Amino acid sequence: MIDTVREIETPEGVCLRLRAAGALPRAQAWMIDLLLRFAFLIMAMIPLGLFGQGGKGLALLLMFALLWGYSVVCEVWLGGQTLGKRALGLRVVNADGTPVTWLPSVVRNLLRVVDALPGVYGVGLACTLMDPYARRLGDIVAGTMVIHAADLPAGQEIPALAALPLPLVLASDEQAALIEFAERAGQLTAQRQEELANLLTPLTGQRDTAAIRQLVGHANWLLGRA
Amino acid sequence: MKQERFVALHRREWDSLEAWLKALDRQAKRLLQQDQALDFPASYRRVCHHLALARGRGYSHEVTERLQRLVQQGHQVLYQPPAPRWHRVIAFLVAGFPRLVRAQWRCMLAASVLFYVPALVTLVVMQLRPEFAHTVFSSAQLAQFEKMYDPANTHIGRSSGTDLQMFGYYVMNNVSIAFRTFASGLVFGVGAIYVLGANGLLIGGVAGHLTAIGYGGPFWRFVAAHSALELTALVIAGGAGLKLGLTLLAPGRQRRGPALVAAGWVGAQLALGAFAMLVMAAFVEAYWSSIAALPDVVKFGSAALLWVLVLGWLWRGGRAVKHGA
Repeated sequence: MIDTVREIETPEGVCLRLRAAGALPRAQAWMIDLLLRFAFLIMAMIPLGLFGQGGKGLALLLMFALLWGYSVVCEVWLGGQTLGKRALGLRVVNADGTPVTWLPSVVRNLLRVVDALPGVYGVGLACTLMDPYARRLGDIVAGTMVIHAADLPAGQEIPALAALPLPLVLASDEQAALIEFAERAGQLTAQRQEELANLLTPLTGQRDTAAIRQLVGHANWLLGRA
Repeated sequence: MKQERFVALHRREWDSLEAWLKALDRQAKRLLQQDQALDFPASYRRVCHHLALARGRGYSHEVTERLQRLVQQGHQVLYQPPAPRWHRVIAFLVAGFPRLVRAQWRCMLAASVLFYVPALVTLVVMQLRPEFAHTVFSSAQLAQFEKMYDPANTHIGRSSGTDLQMFGYYVMNNVSIAFRTFASGLVFGVGAIYVLGANGLLIGGVAGHLTAIGYGGPFWRFVAAHSALELTALVIAGGAGLKLGLTLLAPGRQRRGPALVAAGWVGAQLALGAFAMLVMAAFVEAYWSSIAALPDVVKFGSAALLWVLVLGWLWRGGRAVKHGA
């Protein structure tokens, strides 16, 4: 399977489809987080510098919090998103599809140490490439995964044409394919639309633009439009 | 049922659920107390039913995708984990953590051996052959240790800096070491073994060298108190790391994935407990250990008390109290 969709069955018996996020968007999110933390630390150093030696201690405490606590606190309080993940539309979820909770978040962020191992996230990268859900080691141990939270571009409305009854009964998957064609036709070039519609000349008895129109008409009929 | 009719029949319900979920993002508390919130579970379950129907009947993506999105949002609201409570943190520190440490006593014992044996061996070797100090440390390091624990200092254990600065330094340094010890256990336990052994060697080396050259007084006065918390926390973090590595090597009757998740769950709790101990240790180290002016009785008395408290807490904490029949 090239698809990185993970299906989770909810207690209601329907499948949730979670789309796993790959290494690149996650690396970008991590980069944004790193820069944000760095900028915040620099900004905080200016007033803390006025306190002399004690200020240095506070700066170290702040550095500690940013290093070990930032990700955990953000993930738990902001519904599985650090600021970088929010910018890229990613979300950390538990195995059951709910936003990550305290202990799993602590585990996945502590084990970052191992994922980062040969300096540049080598272990983590190798792991995300091998795992079917693109999880790094920390995610596997914590039982979490990172998903795309942003919505896919929604399918387009099927253009409303006069409904044409189908001349014969189609199987349900054939009907679905026909509806899907009508739904996505707007995203394809005219030539590709014609190419696909011409495959069904035995059904429609038409070619090119007329075939497309007829297929969309059939789709309208299948949807139950008048 | 044709899709158009299905959509026309249920569109209003989907719209209102969508609007409610969207509003929840901004003003969670107030909305959750409204009447609409009472209606939410039933409405959500109906939409789940609609999604199953739409998928089963092969309706178009436009409809199934929208329903899937609604169900996904609703799922996260309905099955939200309970918010953590403060009294659970306290209960964990008082009872849950010691119980967990005792449950993992084999790993804890192994970690103690890995840490204390090299420490004691170097400590003894340094007394017999003081020149060994130069094979473990560089001359610059030795000079720094000697400056820190010079009996003539007013503050011990540091060459400069205020208490607050050192508190920040200790937290950053020691907790990071402990966290790394735990995490690096995942590399088949090698990381944890290395950190425990190396730290044992270094700490034993410093103690042995300073004792051998006659600076033992200030050194032991400085470390005795906070070592109870600090060394124990390091051993616990190392033990949790060993457990992680051991699970990876020998998961037992479970598959590796689930076994690792279970070990990670235990390990995270141990790491959090060690974190609390190390913050306390840093506090003691920065504000109590560094006072040079107190008499030995107070210094070593407080240290002994702390050791007894820490070990007693780990040994007895969280045991059910036995009532008479």
